Amino acid sequence: MDWTKQIGRYVLVMVLQVLLFNQLQLWGICHPYIYVLCLLMMPITLPHSMDMLLGAAAGLVMDICCNSLGIHTAACILLMFIRPYLLGLIVNDKDRLNEQISLRAVGMEAFAKYVVILVLVHHLTVFLLAAWSWSHIGFVLLETLVSSIFTISLIIAYNMLRYR
Amino acid sequence: MQNLLKILLRYSNFLVFIALEVAAFMLITFNNAYPRSSIFSTANSVVAWQHEVVSDICGYFSLRSQNELLAEENVALRNQISTLDSVAETSMMHYASAKVVQMTTDELNNYITINRGSKDGIRRGQGVRNSEGVVGIVRTVGQNYSVVLPIISTRSNLSCRFAKNDYLGTLKWDGKDSRFAQLADIAAHMVVNPGDTIVTSGLSPVFPEGIPVGIVENSVLKEGDSYYTIRIRLQTNFKRLKYVEVVQNAHQQELEELTDGLD
Repeated sequence: MDWTKQIGRYVLVMVLQVLLFNQLQLWGICHPYIYVLCLLMMPITLPHSMDMLLGAAAGLVMDICCNSLGIHTAACILLMFIRPYLLGLIVNDKDRLNEQISLRAVGMEAFAKYVVILVLVHHLTVFLLAAWSWSHIGFVLLETLVSSIFTISLIIAYNMLRYR
Repeated sequence: MQNLLKILLRYSNFLVFIALEVAAFMLITFNNAYPRSSIFSTANSVVAWQHEVVSDICGYFSLRSQNELLAEENVALRNQISTLDSVAETSMMHYASAKVVQMTTDELNNYITINRGSKDGIRRGQGVRNSEGVVGIVRTVGQNYSVVLPIISTRSNLSCRFAKNDYLGTLKWDGKDSRFAQLADIAAHMVVNPGDTIVTSGLSPVFPEGIPVGIVENSVLKEGDSYYTIRIRLQTNFKRLKYVEVVQNAHQQELEELTDGLD
């Protein structure tokens, strides 16, 4: 996998995230974090600990842009930690995955499971940590649901267009 | 020893995960307790500059309404000049105007980034207002930019009083609607009417006395409660906030040192 391509995509997605998606004001409950796209689409050939370090770096950059020091970092590390285990559970035939998980290689069902579970985990972690208490739990769950639907749709749409 | 090494190697990924998460949680708790590091926030010049470019472009589309606001403010200021009563107190307070570079209004912990920093004399803990009323308190200061914790944040506490009888309360925000906040600590024996005006108390050096905060929208006294639940319509319209003023109290440092010595 071409790393310049990965980094180019990351920069583009972060610009969109900060300038467009962070400014969205949809009833105050929709805060999609589409930058997780880059983490989900990262090659699976790296050592697991390297994966988590890259996740931490991406989370820290996002935190600096949103004044939420540590929150996205923690969520991204968690996401990168469970990613290989989840792949092992969802994809039975590992040979079909060569370097990168793609819609074409694993099929719609497995790919959708992969994206939905990881995005839900990430968004729920972010909103729970941002609330920093259980007293807003109803609001946090609603926020997670609405924002995740937005993020998941965008990620799957991107993959349908990109890897047709 | 060899066995221990084997175990460590076998669980190395999990150990890396735990170490990274511990570091991330230390960042979160550190940021909640001491939100001072300006490099890791939007007070960081690079991030703030990027937001400023965006807000400059968007600013052209609201020039007309901003002009109207400024005109209204001019009238109000002229009226104030004619009724200035305590010259001594106003000379102690200085105002520094600032532009809002970036802000959020619909999260639980909102924040505002302004284009003034330590270079312009901004310090942590200074009050921020605009022509309509109270906005918030400076939380993180960078060299050229600062981050303000607005009163519409679940972490905000503001000491206020009723304009009619000086009764004290604390303004909090429930995280729902940027137009309304809640006033706590008003005991049941007090008579609260919709339309009562709430102003800053002047008990802390952050704000001078009497800056408008809001108007009582409604008040509920539940059976058996000794305190009211009061909903306040905020004077400041956070959705169209563009320009603010930072209140600089010449005696703030001295006042804070005095009270710090008491602990």
